[in-house]
Amino acid sequence: MKIKTMITSLAIGIAGLIGINSTLYTVDETNQAVITQMGKPIRVVKQAGLYAKTPLIQSVHYFDKRYLEYGDVPRETTTADKTMLEIDNYALWKITDPLKFMQTVRTENGAQTRLDDVIFSLIRTSVGKNNLIEIVRNSNKPLKTTELTLEGGEVTAEEVKTGREKIMNYITEECNKATQEYGVEVKDVRMMRAEYVKENKLNVFKRMKAERNRIAAKYRSEGEGEKLRILGTKEKEEKRILSEAYKKSKEIEGKADAEATKIYAEAFQKDPELYNLLRTLEFYKKTLGDKSTLVLSTDSEYFRLLTEKGKVK
Amino acid sequence: MSKTYNRFGNESHQGEKPKSMLDQLDEGFEGWKSGGGKTAWKWCKRVVYGLAGIVLLTSSVYIVGPDEEGVIRRFGKYDRTTKSGLQFKLPFVEKLDKPKVTEVKKEEFGFRTLKPGKVSKYDERGDYTKESLMLTGDKAMVDLEFIVQYKIKDAKDCLFNVRDVRGTLRDVSEAAMRQVVGDKGIDDALTTGKIEVQEEVQKHLQEILDYYKTGLHVVTVRLQDVDPPQEVKDAFIDVNNAKQNKAESVNNAWEAYNNVIPKVTGEAEQRIKEAEAYAVKRVNEAKGDANKFLAVWEEYKKAKDVTEKRIKLEAMEEILQKVDKMYIIDSKEQGLLKLFDLNKGQIVSDKEVRK
Repeated sequence: MKIKTMITSLAIGIAGLIGINSTLYTVDETNQAVITQMGKPIRVVKQAGLYAKTPLIQSVHYFDKRYLEYGDVPRETTTADKTMLEIDNYALWKITDPLKFMQTVRTENGAQTRLDDVIFSLIRTSVGKNNLIEIVRNSNKPLKTTELTLEGGEVTAEEVKTGREKIMNYITEECNKATQEYGVEVKDVRMMRAEYVKENKLNVFKRMKAERNRIAAKYRSEGEGEKLRILGTKEKEEKRILSEAYKKSKEIEGKADAEATKIYAEAFQKDPELYNLLRTLEFYKKTLGDKSTLVLSTDSEYFRLLTEKGKVK
Repeated sequence: MSKTYNRFGNESHQGEKPKSMLDQLDEGFEGWKSGGGKTAWKWCKRVVYGLAGIVLLTSSVYIVGPDEEGVIRRFGKYDRTTKSGLQFKLPFVEKLDKPKVTEVKKEEFGFRTLKPGKVSKYDERGDYTKESLMLTGDKAMVDLEFIVQYKIKDAKDCLFNVRDVRGTLRDVSEAAMRQVVGDKGIDDALTTGKIEVQEEVQKHLQEILDYYKTGLHVVTVRLQDVDPPQEVKDAFIDVNNAKQNKAESVNNAWEAYNNVIPKVTGEAEQRIKEAEAYAVKRVNEAKGDANKFLAVWEEYKKAKDVTEKRIKLEAMEEILQKVDKMYIIDSKEQGLLKLFDLNKGQIVSDKEVRK
């Protein structure tokens, strides 16, 4: 083989490849294409595969066919009840009409700026029309525990009329109406974060603290109350037990005294004179002790004998 | 002899046709091929064929790992999905993707694990509270860290439907979590409602992901640290303290109660027993006294005078033995009382004794 032939065949090969390359083109699963002829769009290819075109005068413009992300810097907006919120949302969108897309916004960046305008103004108006509770909450499901711990609390009574999901659905719908002319479909607009701005945050923290202090105070005073109740019960029980015992013991003693009295009476009634004698003597025995001084007359029964003659009576 | 120069400046001789450079190269090449460069040329050809073979082989044979699926696009169009093992494809015109379909991936919200392990290392410097701080249904805020585990359930959907799959998953997760927590009270989110939150978020997240046809399956949603925001943490801790204080107060009160009541109960019983003892004693003594009296009376009836005298004398005997001082005064003496210091002792006149 001569070098000449080699070079010629190489040149023909390369020319052929260029020819094929400018005639045949593939559209990927993730792409769609607009074919233009001398700058004028002539057809749209949405189905993936291998296609042919006239070389040189026709060119292919590719666009993504998948859902594309839309992200935004968080922006501040005010609710109907005048709470400033910093709202961060995302959206998922796709190019449904690449021709329209090419004619109106040309590039994804172009589309992003349009979406930005539309979505933000929609969010601003929707949020502005609703109270904070509509943006935070989605239903009227009761908030169990807070109500329990903050009994009598007026914190949670607000009623939700629309709710976040419906607001976002409305925004998505409206957004679609506005972006149709760009050949774009907005699948979903969703709020990721809705946060209080700094000044509001401080107030919320204050409120949260106040709520907690209230709960803490309730626990403490419940504790104190319970303590006093128990101490009261203690006092009452103590007095009751002791007084009941006193009562019972006195009754027992009284009964015994009564019985004893009866026994004595029955016996002594048989001879009151003898009882008198015995009991008086007993009394002397008990009252006259070793400290007593006794003065007796010789007149007395016992000492008469000392001065008299005769016998003791 | 005239000399001419060709345009390359080489000397050439007239009469000879000047050789073109290509021809010279050609000659040299042919000479090299048949001469000394024979083996080198052979090797050159082998290397070229070998390389071509390798390229052909590697672009037509591929291995799908056990954790993967092979997704083939022919001229950009989805053609087939192949299972794990050795597989073939047409070289150049077919393109292969091998997504890991069994692998469970994890996304973290509100924190980042730097090095997972027995004692995981977390990123301490980064501030991810933006991701985890959210509003609750009672307009309070909670710092709720969570993870989402997911895997690919449909490789084709995952590859061709959404451009930024991971970013979308993160966005949707945050949106879903906030929507669910937005319908819970702060106490619910902090305490008893955690499992409910996880389940609801997982369900909601899956619904949205299916709606976008992401081809992802949410394996699990797990709440990690759930705390009140840093700024109000103290107040929340104080509530716990208050609960402890309450329990303490109640316990203290019961302690005081228990210190007294059982003791008092015993004391009460003691009093009653004492009363009973008194009663038994009193009655028995009364009976004893009565019986004694009756016994004495039986005998007294028989000899009243003698017995009376005897009893009296016996009593006197006993008394007189005990007393400190005794004066016996003649009944004729008068005005003796002034001799005595009345404060010193008892004076009993014999009139009473006589009784």
